[in-house]
Amino acid sequence: MKRNSWIRKQGWVGYIFILPNMLGILAFFILPALYSFFMMFTDYQFANPNWTFTGLDNIQRLFGDDQFYASIKYTIIFLMSVPVSLAIAFLVALVLNRSVYLKGLLRGMFFLPYISSGVAVAFVWMLLFQPSQGPINEVLRFIGIVSPPGWFADSSSAMYAIDVVQIWFMLGYNMIIYLAALQEISTEQLEAARIDGAGKATITWRIVWPLVSPTTFMLLITGLIMTVKSFSLIQAITGGGPSGSTTILSLFVYKTAFSYYEMGYASTISWFLFAVILVITIIQWVGQKRWVHY
Amino acid sequence: MKYRNWLKAALITTLTASMLSACGGANNEGASAGSANQNAGETINLTLWGAVPAEAGPQEVIDSWNKENPDIQVEYFRYVNDDPGNLKLDTALMTGQDADLFVNYTLNRLQKRVDAGVALDLSSRTDYNIDEQMGVDAAQWKIGDKYYGIPTKKNMLFIWLNKSMLDEAGLPIPPVDWTWDDLREYAKALTKSNVYGLMQHDAAFTAAIDGTIAGLGVTTAEGTSNFNNDLWKKQLQIVHDMMFVDKSTPEYGEQVTSKMPVDTMFLKGEAAMLAAGEFIFRNANNLKDFPHDFKIAFATIPKVSADQKDYKYAGGLGDMLSVNAKSKHQDAAWKFAKWYADGGMLPMASGGRLPSSKSVDNKQAMDLLLKGVEDKYDTESMNSVVFGEFPSFQLNVPQQALDARKEEYEKYFLNEQDIDTTLKNMAKRHQEYIK
Repeated sequence: MKRNSWIRKQGWVGYIFILPNMLGILAFFILPALYSFFMMFTDYQFANPNWTFTGLDNIQRLFGDDQFYASIKYTIIFLMSVPVSLAIAFLVALVLNRSVYLKGLLRGMFFLPYISSGVAVAFVWMLLFQPSQGPINEVLRFIGIVSPPGWFADSSSAMYAIDVVQIWFMLGYNMIIYLAALQEISTEQLEAARIDGAGKATITWRIVWPLVSPTTFMLLITGLIMTVKSFSLIQAITGGGPSGSTTILSLFVYKTAFSYYEMGYASTISWFLFAVILVITIIQWVGQKRWVHY
Repeated sequence: MKYRNWLKAALITTLTASMLSACGGANNEGASAGSANQNAGETINLTLWGAVPAEAGPQEVIDSWNKENPDIQVEYFRYVNDDPGNLKLDTALMTGQDADLFVNYTLNRLQKRVDAGVALDLSSRTDYNIDEQMGVDAAQWKIGDKYYGIPTKKNMLFIWLNKSMLDEAGLPIPPVDWTWDDLREYAKALTKSNVYGLMQHDAAFTAAIDGTIAGLGVTTAEGTSNFNNDLWKKQLQIVHDMMFVDKSTPEYGEQVTSKMPVDTMFLKGEAAMLAAGEFIFRNANNLKDFPHDFKIAFATIPKVSADQKDYKYAGGLGDMLSVNAKSKHQDAAWKFAKWYADGGMLPMASGGRLPSSKSVDNKQAMDLLLKGVEDKYDTESMNSVVFGEFPSFQLNVPQQALDARKEEYEKYFLNEQDIDTTLKNMAKRHQEYIK
């Protein structure tokens, strides 16, 4: 009895401690989310007090909107940057985990982009990718490519050019996490494999890769979610252009909401975006049983 | 036990209250107070939101007001005239934060604020005749036959010319009724290595096609979109040729993606002609940061073809100063607005913002504009173009349709779509917004 009341006492003190945070979450996450769900069925325009219920009109409009399908396509292209970045990060981490010269410096260099400001990064890449005088195209022309791509200046290449920036941007973070995972692997296991006669490639793919699979899983899931939501990089570089070719879903939401003030429609798109993220997460959660080894 | 419950309740209440009070503060007082407060003899504090950097004139304007009117003190708050900036202003207006006066720069934005009920309908104010003070162009800012603000300045878009380069190439200053074909020839003749014949500021890029449709009508007689008219085809084609055949103007993709600072480049002598608005004066008059030794002359944004009737020039009036309909000090704000329009804004003339009110001596504004830089401008073309009178317009097309139009012509300028498809798509997408 005595013990019980102690727990009860501890319990409510605990609730008091988390109360400010819970109120914050309620006020700034849960209520707005419910509010936007409600707005999905209205034609509410930001700042305009007159609105009406439109039922499923917004959803109908969404599925008949060409820009919506285009933005899904661009989002998928953008998401491809995540696995590519992971693959490169894994290889870089493997190399840096061995004894190479200037290891510390190299690690720092790879990590540098991640701690730089997004707008600065955007600016640097805008200069690098400049179609007529940018250093990248200068090099390409030097090695004999007569008409190098226009990168950001071309609607067929702009999304891929942004992928490159995103890969570069994420590389350092992914690499550091991988390095940590690699150092967790016990030397006994590697030793045992070596004594059994496994070669370097076999050790990497049969021992190391499965052992870091929880890390890969974590990075993949957070990377995909982060990428699908991210928009500041694109907003800073192309602003969704040229001719809408880098308008991914999140940018589409932003434009609809804050350029056109169509909050009802924007809510509909953002709930779709939520559904996309949910599906990605569920698929991975189910799929992890097959390839993640703890 | 009871004591504990009481404590619990008290704690929760305090925490909740402290959280909520942070959010609700601004709304407590009703908007109905109106002019009642004004009699009290205490100082009224007003806030003016505008997009011009405070140091480029507005600070001087409100400083002199504050000195003359100790009972009404105005504070200037700068918002950037882009999507995030306008969102900030709209949020402030909607949530009743202090924005007693605000400046609108496009009809689209004003329309939204009128719909939201935050711009004061001025038909109740009989002590100021906007039509009479500001001239016929003011009516373009009417919404539903009513004024929701005072259009305070003359808007202008024109071609800025580097006179030295013109002289060098043996070209006279073009006549006011020149055409895009003439412009193309000029640009071709003026292009050298590292010098573009023509550069176009974002704001001026669509000036000719907007001016065309302002005359032709946004829709045809049948009520369908007029975005596929032949004059647009011709103008877009000329610009396209200038980019890819003559190479006298930067390629579109390159200009956009490298965010070319066209005004700086023009002042540095990297472009012989620049299509842009009067806002360039801010930099052109600033010889310290933008030193240049050539004279600047002016030409109009050309017509598409010589026989084009009813072509209109981008411009008219701008800087629409509105009073917040929810402001507690509407009378004081209105008093300031009238003063601002009728000459109070004069210090901003040095940055190119010429007052439109007839109460302002034009000469005085011009002197301010040219103070210390008289020798940097060609007087004759300045008088005929910058201070000239041209039929003008305010574009009234929904933002979505304008953005869709932009996406389509971008495809054309990126060589991803031919001109006919471009026009067809522009009209098709515009049609979606015609009710």
